[in-house]
Amino acid sequence: MADAHPHAMAPTRPGKTRTAPPQRPPQFPMGGRYLAYTAFGWTGLIYLLLGFLVIEAVWALGDGAAAWQEQLLRYEHPVYIAFHVLALASVVFVGVRFFRLFPKAQPPRIGPAKPPPQSLIHGTLYAVWVGATVVFGAILAGGLF
Amino acid sequence: MAETLVKKFVVTRFDPDKDEAPRTESYEVPCHPDWKVLDALNHIKDEIDGSLAHRWSCRMSVCGSCGMNVNGQPTLTCKKAVSDLPDTVEVTPLANFPVVRDLVVELDGFMEKLKSVKPWIIRAKEKAVEEGPMRQSQAELEEFKQFSMCINCMLCYAACPVVANEPEFLGPAAIALGHRYSVDSRDEGAAERNEIFRGEGTVFACSYANECSEVCPKHVDPAAAVNQAKFNAVIDWAAGLVLPRGGKE
Repeated sequence: MADAHPHAMAPTRPGKTRTAPPQRPPQFPMGGRYLAYTAFGWTGLIYLLLGFLVIEAVWALGDGAAAWQEQLLRYEHPVYIAFHVLALASVVFVGVRFFRLFPKAQPPRIGPAKPPPQSLIHGTLYAVWVGATVVFGAILAGGLF
Repeated sequence: MAETLVKKFVVTRFDPDKDEAPRTESYEVPCHPDWKVLDALNHIKDEIDGSLAHRWSCRMSVCGSCGMNVNGQPTLTCKKAVSDLPDTVEVTPLANFPVVRDLVVELDGFMEKLKSVKPWIIRAKEKAVEEGPMRQSQAELEEFKQFSMCINCMLCYAACPVVANEPEFLGPAAIALGHRYSVDSRDEGAAERNEIFRGEGTVFACSYANECSEVCPKHVDPAAAVNQAKFNAVIDWAAGLVLPRGGKE
């Protein structure tokens, strides 16, 4: 087991007895259920890279039509395609994780109002997600606008 | 008579007067099939090695004293049957806590965190006894009942990866117990607690590993409490920005 932060769960003033340092949970970071949590953290890196790609695309747009066509050709490279598949998987993973949390994160009431049943919140989140995907898909395919 | 199961218990030992660091010791324990891990530890202490130190009290998953890591899982040892475990059982003190001796961890850090969230009913003005009891509907009780079932067993702290990294983090049980009072209809201290929740040990350190809720033996769902506390802390902060006098009456 690896050491946790040396002051994890330690009192502000150390007691009279010498203590052994706290240890991390033994399965952290890759064992058991921690794997999903660690993977969730790693998706941050994918979003960072995705952010750079967006900046690069905007840059190409600013450089004119020829640069943009060149950029579109670059997207056909297998590495780009693989990265985008990974990014899509990351978005789905984080979305599902967030949707699992969101219903139970609602406070019992906000002022006099009570949140709707968890199943309704859950269903609405997925419906909005699917709806938004369909709309954006239609726009990208040229079906809308 | 039921057959006994001989299991090898690998137990963490640490004597602050002698040992530089924790070490392990193995014991062959003849277990009855209906024994819990705590029975095996008590057998070690009573019959094999009287120097073993471990906490326990009620033996019925109520007091929360006997929490330890059993084969890596934060577990109430009075609840975990030895028959459900493999031939070798590793028992270590709860992760994320300083170790006082053998399987006994230092709880003062938690007690400080718990006290800091003011886990009691706060009233701006106490209701006089003559005015009668404070009535509460069943629906109002249901809003906090789940969180009041916490037995302070510390399994949630042992499972939380954030606690391992951020010593200031209030942690699952303390936040759940503070939140329990904030959503109690008799309490008027939610604003005070929201400030604490936004402060140094902020609830926003939680990145929703959800391990606290997975290991909770009383199904308190501390992850829900932490994330509800986040929601309330944000609403309270936003209301303070837009309402006259910061929303304070």
